[in-house]
Amino acid sequence: MRRHLAITLGGLMLAASLALSGPATADDTLDRGIGSEWSSLDPQVNFDAAAGWIQSDAYEGLVNFDGSGKVIPGAAESWDISADGKTYVFHLRDGLKWSNGDPLVAQDFVNAVLRTLNPDTASEKGYYFYSVIKVKGAEALANGETKDATTLGMTAPDDRTVVIEMETPNPHMLDLMGAFQLAPLHSPSFEAMGAGVFIDPAHVVSNGAYIIKEVVPQSHVLLERNPNYWDAANVKIPFVKYHVTEDVNTELKRYQAGEIDITYDIPVNQIAALQESIPDQVSISPSTEVTYYSFNLKRPPLDNIDVRRALSLAIDRETLEGKIVKGGAVPTYSFAGGFDPDYHGPQIAEAGMSQAEREAAAKDLFAKAGYGPDNPLKLNIVTTVAEDRIRLAQGVALMWKKVLGVDAQVDSMERKAWLDAFYAGGWDVFADDLVGDFAGPETFLAYMRPSADSGYNWVKPEYDAAMDAAAEEADPAKRNEKLAVAEKILLDDYIFAPIAIEPVRHLVSPHVKGWATSPAGYNNSQFLSLE
Amino acid sequence: MLRFIGRRVWDGGLTLAALVTLTFFVMRLAPGGPFSKSRKISPEILANIQKTYHLDEPVWMQFGRYVKGLVTFDLGPSTRFRDYTVGDMISAGLPWSVTIGIWAIIVATLIGVALGVAGAMRRNSAADYVAGIVGVVGVAVPIFVIGPLLQSVFALRLGWVPVGGIGAGWRALVLPILVLALPNVAYISRLTRSSMIETLRENYVRTARAKGVGAARMVRRHVLKGTLLPVIAYLGPATAAIITGSILIETIFALPGIGRHFVDAALNRDYPLVMGITLLYGALLIVLNIATDLIRAWIDPRLRNGR
Repeated sequence: MRRHLAITLGGLMLAASLALSGPATADDTLDRGIGSEWSSLDPQVNFDAAAGWIQSDAYEGLVNFDGSGKVIPGAAESWDISADGKTYVFHLRDGLKWSNGDPLVAQDFVNAVLRTLNPDTASEKGYYFYSVIKVKGAEALANGETKDATTLGMTAPDDRTVVIEMETPNPHMLDLMGAFQLAPLHSPSFEAMGAGVFIDPAHVVSNGAYIIKEVVPQSHVLLERNPNYWDAANVKIPFVKYHVTEDVNTELKRYQAGEIDITYDIPVNQIAALQESIPDQVSISPSTEVTYYSFNLKRPPLDNIDVRRALSLAIDRETLEGKIVKGGAVPTYSFAGGFDPDYHGPQIAEAGMSQAEREAAAKDLFAKAGYGPDNPLKLNIVTTVAEDRIRLAQGVALMWKKVLGVDAQVDSMERKAWLDAFYAGGWDVFADDLVGDFAGPETFLAYMRPSADSGYNWVKPEYDAAMDAAAEEADPAKRNEKLAVAEKILLDDYIFAPIAIEPVRHLVSPHVKGWATSPAGYNNSQFLSLE
Repeated sequence: MLRFIGRRVWDGGLTLAALVTLTFFVMRLAPGGPFSKSRKISPEILANIQKTYHLDEPVWMQFGRYVKGLVTFDLGPSTRFRDYTVGDMISAGLPWSVTIGIWAIIVATLIGVALGVAGAMRRNSAADYVAGIVGVVGVAVPIFVIGPLLQSVFALRLGWVPVGGIGAGWRALVLPILVLALPNVAYISRLTRSSMIETLRENYVRTARAKGVGAARMVRRHVLKGTLLPVIAYLGPATAAIITGSILIETIFALPGIGRHFVDAALNRDYPLVMGITLLYGALLIVLNIATDLIRAWIDPRLRNGR
């Protein structure tokens, strides 16, 4: 009896161990780190940038993006834009196919948007279509006011034409026509299997350069080249494996051992050493995330612009990022600038000064408001628990103490609590950040509209008016000029202190060729090769 | 005996019920919710998502819904991993945690008992000192130090095993199992040693020895059984602790076990997943404790009657 049990147990363990043995990662596979586990592989639901990489490999939108973030033709080979900038007509390539051989038609793109907007999908991504670009009828569908699909201003008059009508012109609409926001939907497989189809390699149907071959929760997603992709001849790497790399130090070791070719991140305390030892493999570049410290306008004396301005000027951003946080972020003196090279927006008025001059000005302003070392201002900074964010907040607190004698207390909380704390209002200074939906100023500026977010308690009809004026402009250059006018109104009120543009950090193996960087962070595997 | 088991199972059920209730309500006290992530979403859309997951209902109603689901073994959908239900997540992760957990406890028991016996038989010998050193190191050096250290040596320098992941088959599990076993090797060897020294002083052992029973036979037939009682008492809870406590190991070695979900779920306010894993851990602990009691009763007749 006892022996039987022992043998059975031993057998089970052996079987479990044998089931594990598979071939080691071969050279025909690109191994990419992806950070924490993807939240969803459902293209109409997934809201994570990292899972977006998988999505952009497995699906293709109307347009595609090269490594430098430039819009290139995707499923659509060309498009026409109406003179008023409100109507886009996309022409699909001839003979497009899904991975299972089914023909890919224009209606598949319309169905994808309808599903994204459908309240039953419970997707957070509908706002791309009713807020970022205002597709006619999208908001009513998203709110559940109507279920009539024909009210949507996105139609497929024939199998190779997609027409999108918007309420206002938007020169950036092409940035939202890629696989992340607009992967087409293969209705037959979705209707047969439900949302479970997207994680089921046996049944999932996709239209990108790769198809999903294997999904192991918390471990990896394996992709294989899609022979039915229209440009399959130019896809060089046969397999791509996305590994969950939750621990950044383990990821670094796996990279050093050759298990990972492109990492998700670099441990901040290792950046300097790696830049010394393997400079060619360290890829650090700005992303579309800006960090800024918002002031609570409801809490005196922060309702006084002189106090806010002094606090903003007392921050030595270069020292902060270069010597204290050391994560590769780029100090910034504006809010929406630095993402689009065609946008020449304003900076805070004192951007041209030296830090010593700024600090002198800060002291004067602070004294004018009645504060200084003799009458110290007490305030709290609410930040997330991420190590570099805490270090940032402590650095700012230190500078405020040194220059203005401010007693600042750093309150760190986990991300979810931090998000709720914003609206609860229990903060003097909120360590804020915002990730743009595309690499342009408008995504940032639209978000700061007093009408769009009540959390800042910022009353500024002029700003809304300036943004409305820009929203009506179809010409990209003129629109940027109008956006710059709006940004100046925003910066002149010092309702926050801009801090830095956050970086994306990767280690890229010398075997990987074709790697490029852009703020939008598109790095489709189809444009890479292995040597 | 049946009554004994029945009572333990009943007590366990009550404990679980209390655990579920407490966890459910305490979790809701934490600020933030599963969908408080993006501030860009319009309130109507957010309300709609909340409705899909019944988060708009009063908490007591959500609790009722949850308990109703439990009866049919439905642990609900995961809000963090939208493609999966909690049941899916647990059945994908648990085999990994159980595999490394059970191997670790086997390794720890074999090495620990061997070291303990050697130490007790030859006190203050070289073997005893080795056991002592292993004990101190195993208990004192934390997993997050020893893990990366072993990775550097055996994976990076020697290349015998991978750093992490599950791509390399059984070799991927060698380091995690060793690291997980180490603190238990230490504890078990100390436990065995002191228990054995005590047993060696017992009258029945002296009697056996006086009757001329050889040392090896004596240990096998008389001493070991007495020695192992406290070790077995330790093994039940230790197995549960190893399976549920592999969070760090799974993170350091990038293994897709259940422990990592627990932290992730709590941070992301994935209420159903937190509940599911809590329930699982609770049940595991209770079952292993009952099993331990049964084995002890089987070995030691004194425990069978009476209490």
